[in-house]
Amino acid sequence: ATESRQGVLVRGRGWKGMVFNTPPNPNPSVILISGSLCGLGPHVSPPLFSPLPEEPQTDIGLPHERLSRAKELKERKRILRENRQNAEMERAARLRTVLIPLEDVRAEWERTSGPFHKQRVAKHCGVFRDLFGGATFTPWVALRVQYSQEDEHLVPVYYGNMVTPSEASSAPAVSYEADKGSLWTLLLTNPDGHLRDADSEYLHWLVTNIPGSDIKAGKEMCHYLPPFPAMGTGYHRFIFLLFKQHGPINFSQDARPTPCYSLKMRTFSTFDFYRKHKDAMTPAGLAFFQCQWDSSVTSTFHQLLNMREPVFEFVRPPTYHPPQVKFPRHQPLRYLDRYRDTQEPTYGIY
Amino acid sequence: MCFFNLWWIFVCSPPQGLRFASTTAGLKTETEVDTSENEVVAPNFTNRNPRNLEQMALARKERGWKTTWPKREFWHRLRLERTQHYVEAFVERSNGDVVVSASTREWAIKRHLYSPKGVAACKNLGRVMAQRCLEAGINFVNFKAIIPWEHRCDSIQEFEKAMEEGGVVLHEPRRIYR
Repeated sequence: ATESRQGVLVRGRGWKGMVFNTPPNPNPSVILISGSLCGLGPHVSPPLFSPLPEEPQTDIGLPHERLSRAKELKERKRILRENRQNAEMERAARLRTVLIPLEDVRAEWERTSGPFHKQRVAKHCGVFRDLFGGATFTPWVALRVQYSQEDEHLVPVYYGNMVTPSEASSAPAVSYEADKGSLWTLLLTNPDGHLRDADSEYLHWLVTNIPGSDIKAGKEMCHYLPPFPAMGTGYHRFIFLLFKQHGPINFSQDARPTPCYSLKMRTFSTFDFYRKHKDAMTPAGLAFFQCQWDSSVTSTFHQLLNMREPVFEFVRPPTYHPPQVKFPRHQPLRYLDRYRDTQEPTYGIY
Repeated sequence: MCFFNLWWIFVCSPPQGLRFASTTAGLKTETEVDTSENEVVAPNFTNRNPRNLEQMALARKERGWKTTWPKREFWHRLRLERTQHYVEAFVERSNGDVVVSASTREWAIKRHLYSPKGVAACKNLGRVMAQRCLEAGINFVNFKAIIPWEHRCDSIQEFEKAMEEGGVVLHEPRRIYR
């Protein structure tokens, strides 16, 4: 008798006739290979999934001009050569005391590989799939969003960090680099929180025709509504989108009355909104945060939305059992319990 | 994509006396129309956020792979790759998708270092990686994919210390089964 699998003792007869209760393979094209077979060595795992041929994703972002690569490389090589000739740097590296300035690294990262990293994280959080139906863009414009608290504390919004609804109760300070005379649109949407329809979003804030980076000078089509993720529903994404307009656009169709506390009026679809104006604007900036229920959400429901607060409970999907077989091999009597509709156990009753 | 259906129960009593007191009949009907429809809520709620279940510790971890190493029982794994010339760190999911990465190959980090490999590079890479993980909302990461005798070396110890000091917890919470 070797090992026991699901309470059944397997005799040392090999793997013939074993019933493996594995969950259904979501991707039948996966080929499982061990590391040594790949020639990678015993301690290196092979690629965990055989990569599916990815369909080319439509890019709806701004075009990015690359500066001359040769000049950039020459400059970088010069700096690296200087570093290697610097005796202080060599001593600090040898004695392991060197600490690189994180702010400078972050600023340089935002200019170089930041947009690609943000796009990657947003893709994994399903932002492009839910808002744009699969089309992606690289957020070249660095969008800095900060919620200010009463004690002068600032809560920043990066790409996926946690912010509570009480911290996000008032409109944040948004800043980004913009040329003079350019027009922008800022949008805050929640694709997860819709209480009636799973495929639509709630619009929390829409400011259009913003000249440069001055949000106050833009026309506020929909005033700011604090986040209200219902209790028990878990974490919701709240996504800030910055669009660069090619010229002044008439958004009168998307104007909401002030004040607008009707959830029906706040129901929104970024896909339709972008499709309507896609010739006149392109997405340029992205920032999002995850938000969970908080006691301030109760007051938002009661005072602002004037409704009873809905409370939800998580329902687990039923456990998977493979299709029932008439003559199951090496299964205990409780095999029948798994397929019976009523709850009648055949053990523990004596 | 992970979906989960939720049942709802009304728990709170309706707010009393919080309707807007208005004199004109027209205004009153507007606010009533506005907010009376708010109460209509679907009984089943679906949350499309792919990170929701794993942040609530309810998502499945891949529990098989018990006869191979490293195991795939994690939501996010931190993998440190030290090559001859560079040091790279990746945070990836069990299906192999890289979520956050940092490497001394990037110009932003390379320019401040004397050498892109070595203990000092690992330490600073740890600090940068911790900052990026927290910004991406990844607070718990599995750091078991290192060989024991390599884990004891100085550079990986410094990297681990830098990640801990940066605020990332290097073990994932247990999944909630009940």
